[in-house]
Amino acid sequence: MVVKQRILFTLLLIPLVSFCQQTKSSKSLYPDSVGDIAFNKATDNENFELCYEKHIFQYFNNSGGLEYDGDKLAIEKEFAQKFKSVLLENENGLIRIRFVVNCKGATDRFRLIAMDDEYHDKIFPQTITNQLIDITRTLKGWKIKKYGDQAIDYYQYLIFKIENGQLKEILP
Amino acid sequence: MKKLLLTLFPFWFYAQPNCNAFLYEGDTLQYKACMLVENIENKHYQFRREFQEKYDEALEICPHFAYAYREKSTAYLKSGDFLTWKRLIDKAVEYDISGNLGYRAWCRFQFFRDYKGAIADIEKLDNLSDYDIGYGINGDYHLNITKAMCYSALNQKEKAISIFISHLVTDSYAPGLYDYYQLGVTYYENKNYDKALQAFEKQTTINDFAENAYYAAKVYLALKNDSEYKRYKAMAIYLYGQNKILSDPYTHHYSHVYYTTILNE
Repeated sequence: MVVKQRILFTLLLIPLVSFCQQTKSSKSLYPDSVGDIAFNKATDNENFELCYEKHIFQYFNNSGGLEYDGDKLAIEKEFAQKFKSVLLENENGLIRIRFVVNCKGATDRFRLIAMDDEYHDKIFPQTITNQLIDITRTLKGWKIKKYGDQAIDYYQYLIFKIENGQLKEILP
Repeated sequence: MKKLLLTLFPFWFYAQPNCNAFLYEGDTLQYKACMLVENIENKHYQFRREFQEKYDEALEICPHFAYAYREKSTAYLKSGDFLTWKRLIDKAVEYDISGNLGYRAWCRFQFFRDYKGAIADIEKLDNLSDYDIGYGINGDYHLNITKAMCYSALNQKEKAISIFISHLVTDSYAPGLYDYYQLGVTYYENKNYDKALQAFEKQTTINDFAENAYYAAKVYLALKNDSEYKRYKAMAIYLYGQNKILSDPYTHHYSHVYYTTILNE
């Protein structure tokens, strides 16, 4: 009987603990981890599956850096072939597209930020940003990262250096 | 999973200041803030909410605690969020310019290839200092060598070479692991082939790796010396197989060459 009561008590406590955590989370300025990308029904693929929704790693956590079939060279080649540059004077800065590579090597949850040469927010023409997003979505060579035998989900980003509307360099 | 997280903590932590030094200087606010976050990196990964919140608490105690801004900025740097990173690291520089200007310069170079910004920070630090301005945070390059690489990237090859050499001949300076390679690449791009070969030879005696042999091969190709070209190309492929290459866990190491590029040369 005592054991049953203890089990019941423990079960009752679970929602309380959970509630406390949610309350703290909603008041915080921060997501669980810096840069977390929450699912957005309006833009994201609802069929995109994560192995561990609760923890998505960063691409460098395994010390492997950016891992892609054919290395970053293959990514640069994709953009060199597909990105149609238009000379746009004074369209300078960086554009970062960050996304999730899941435990099967598929990608989704693409998010974009941009800056000018002085690190201020910038809105680039959609002729540039739409192309970058579209080409990034088509990249299929992301390697599956593992810890031990366990495939993990991870965040990856690409930064595009733009000079006068031209794509000059891809980072990291 | 927790064990995994602890195992994978990045090694890029900046040593926490000695809190007692603030007390010695009579800055009790900064001492209290510093003590609040002492050893926090052992408890929370720098990306975690708890890590950010703890540093916010420290800043509530001492709004001029530069170290807190710098620590908060790191996760944004590593996730490529240049906007938030810059806002935070600028605060760190504002409150401790000599302690953070060189760091900001290196980050501009390594993560954002902001060559002009990195040069401006290094030159400003140099003007402020009557001591050695030191190395980039990961220890790969001295900041003067970094400045030379930035000028090279901006296609100011002569200026870059001049900075490389004036630093490399400094009596108190021991050449870094990749310095002569970067000098050699700059010579090669400036078509100073003899000087480039000398630099690559010097590099070999310090630390040999695939890219160094690859660029030596490129020089011999330009000089139409087919046998040496083939010898160095084969050496580059061999060294690549030994994983003796320029690498970095976060970004593309400046002047790193891909395996397929070497094969297809």
